[in-house]
Amino acid sequence: MRKMYKLLVFSFLLAFSALQLTAQEKKSNYGNATDEIIPYGRFQEAYINFFDDPQLFTGAGREKPEPTDISEVRIGFLGPLSVSPIVPQGIQMLQGSELAIEEANKNGGYKGIPFKLMVHDDFGLWGAAANKVVEMYDEHVWAFLGSIDDINTHVALRATLKMEIPMMNSGDPDPTLTETRIPWLVHCISDDRQSCYALSEYIYKEKKLSRVALLRVDNRYGRVGTKEFREVSQRMMHPIVLEVRFLDGDTVFTKQINRIKNSNPDAIQLWGNAKETALIVNQIREMGIDLPIFASDRAMSPLFLKIAGKNAEGLVTTCQYNPKANNPALKEFQKNYYEKFGIEPDVFAAHAYDGMNMIIEAIQKAGLNRYLIRDVMTDVKTYQGVTGEIILDGAFNDVGAIWMSKIKNGEYEFFPSQLNISGN
Amino acid sequence: MFRLNRNLPKAIKVLFITVLVISISGFSPNNQNTKIIQGEKYDHQITDGENSRVIGPGDNITNIKKEAGEMPVYGNWKTFTQKDGLPANKAYCVRIDGDRVLVGTSGGLGVYENGEWRTYTVEDGIAHNGILAIDVSELTGDVWLGTLGGLTRWSGGKFDTFTQLNSGLANNVIYSVICDGKHVWSATGGGAGDYNTYTDEWEIYMERNAPMHEPWTYGVCAGDDKIWIAAWGGGVIEYNTKTKKFRDYIDPDSQMELDVFPDDGVVHDITTGVSYDEGILWVATYFGVNRYDGAHWNTYFDHDSGLLSNFNNFCRAVGPVIYFCTDLGLSTFNGNKWVSYQRNENNTAGKVLITNGAKLTDDIKIREFPASTSIAHNFTIGVDVQGDEIWVATSYGVSRGERLK
Repeated sequence: MRKMYKLLVFSFLLAFSALQLTAQEKKSNYGNATDEIIPYGRFQEAYINFFDDPQLFTGAGREKPEPTDISEVRIGFLGPLSVSPIVPQGIQMLQGSELAIEEANKNGGYKGIPFKLMVHDDFGLWGAAANKVVEMYDEHVWAFLGSIDDINTHVALRATLKMEIPMMNSGDPDPTLTETRIPWLVHCISDDRQSCYALSEYIYKEKKLSRVALLRVDNRYGRVGTKEFREVSQRMMHPIVLEVRFLDGDTVFTKQINRIKNSNPDAIQLWGNAKETALIVNQIREMGIDLPIFASDRAMSPLFLKIAGKNAEGLVTTCQYNPKANNPALKEFQKNYYEKFGIEPDVFAAHAYDGMNMIIEAIQKAGLNRYLIRDVMTDVKTYQGVTGEIILDGAFNDVGAIWMSKIKNGEYEFFPSQLNISGN
Repeated sequence: MFRLNRNLPKAIKVLFITVLVISISGFSPNNQNTKIIQGEKYDHQITDGENSRVIGPGDNITNIKKEAGEMPVYGNWKTFTQKDGLPANKAYCVRIDGDRVLVGTSGGLGVYENGEWRTYTVEDGIAHNGILAIDVSELTGDVWLGTLGGLTRWSGGKFDTFTQLNSGLANNVIYSVICDGKHVWSATGGGAGDYNTYTDEWEIYMERNAPMHEPWTYGVCAGDDKIWIAAWGGGVIEYNTKTKKFRDYIDPDSQMELDVFPDDGVVHDITTGVSYDEGILWVATYFGVNRYDGAHWNTYFDHDSGLLSNFNNFCRAVGPVIYFCTDLGLSTFNGNKWVSYQRNENNTAGKVLITNGAKLTDDIKIREFPASTSIAHNFTIGVDVQGDEIWVATSYGVSRGERLK
């Protein structure tokens, strides 16, 4: 009997060890995709998956000594600050960054040397973002944060690899950004891949809808942003019934809405900037169409609520964080931001604040060496920011929780995506 | 060892054996000749070269030459850094031009001639000290420099600069430049540019007038009346200079995170370099490399071939041989055999890795030969070959090697 007891104990010890090991080795699918929506997953296992392991930077530079003759520690900022339709978001991003810098300087800067934000507008000559990165390189910034527009951000990123400047992106939801495999970029905000996965889970699994029509803006934001939604819908056996487009700045959408109506959908998915999305919602309801409407996260905006008014009731979108979370750090940030700038911070401000703090903390830890700053930034596995838990995957992309938002009584109500709850 | 007591209940025995099997399989390490290089798991199956010889002055190279067959093997590496007169340690590109060598660095243009270095910078008229690309016109002998601040022509001892403000240049950051007769092509973040030096006319090709998904271009090459553009996010664009028509080659699976099938087309839409010679188009990406003979695509990864790394900064084809600049060393290949060069982590010596076949199999493995000299740094960014001489631009210096006879 005693032998049997020993044997049982030994067996359970072994089993426990094995289970522990299996749990450590268990890897989630890229982008936290469920098995059901892995590309080609129903037919063929991929020959190679590119983002299972992080891309290291193996170049020289870590040996460079810290400069001793500087009076300020420069950090770059690149964002839409003029002309662009997304200037309001750019200003929020800038203000979030400024607040982080101001707080860091109140706490002594870097070894007593103040941080200084070198601000650059990404509007200008064609491909200006690349030229702006060169300007920041010539200004000797140690890292930079930017941008929002996906074309400008890509252009900046490309130049970043050549100039070897750590880049933090807190505002561009383009999933292809981190999929370029440039090991100088950290993306501290969930991307449109995450949003599309969450929306499709909600629409098809929770709401049991099956015939979705897609109305999107005809630019790169619309094309790349909806790619995953379109493909995941198909993998979930609910191919979208119709895809129609509009242009940024359009005000009348009757033709597109009539085409949607004729396709007999049971829901409509919108993808565009706040103003156009709101106008579309109004016109859908004015035409007597009472279908559920879903939208991209740019509908998370006071401008959207103002234009759409009561027509916005019931609209569901995603949000990269929960602005109403019971998080003391978030509440403190929101209070300080309002006191300084006189407006509520939006998603771009909050993520810029987190992203800038990640840069500042990396500088504090690594010292003034771009290569070591990069190492610290990309070594982060989980960062606790005001936006919640930022979890970086093998592409240095935030795959932390994504939130759903529903408009009720003129306000956004937040609830977690089932994708987070089920732990996929 | 444990011996199960015959008197134990059968269920307990089954449980024990099951748990033991699970545990052992769980603990089983993957020990198939894995190797750690610069902290990264490196899955090549490597065997020691029989009768390994060092490659350097006075070394016996008979065995390694035999192993490499028709592939050129380089040795007697000499490295130049800032201490030796190079403008800066980071070398982006290199071009051999007759008796002189032009090196683009982060600190200006270095010219090596008669055993000495001369430096040219913005003070001499170059658009920016960061020089990413160099080509020399066979027609005129002019040197064209792609810089971080515009395109510079070095002609008759004078530097002239073309920018977005004074010409039709697509963008001031030039990633690649090539001379094709009277035309100078440049790859920029704002599109590919074609400058006709006879008529002084510029054309810009981007997503609005060419089959590119995006306007960003990163590499360009020419050959047989065609121009190939490595379009960042758009695969490879082919432009026929006679018919003025385009065609594109993109990743057939259209997915950024994986490759479903190898050998089915461009490995990834993010392309970093293209090079063409002897009817073969070679493509470099951060996800592997391709060979295209006009009918068939072949894909090579670091886990299934002699390619040192999937992360490829640049490529140049010279005759039948392609030179891939990876972040883990220099890989060369002729479609049948790989010869790669890698520096040791802690000294100036290195190794030559030879794969007697295009792809690894049970019979085809990588054989490693120690070498007493090696390239300046394993993060290679540019390469050029002329005759028996090879120059490699790296993250920390530039290296000259000689073809071993």
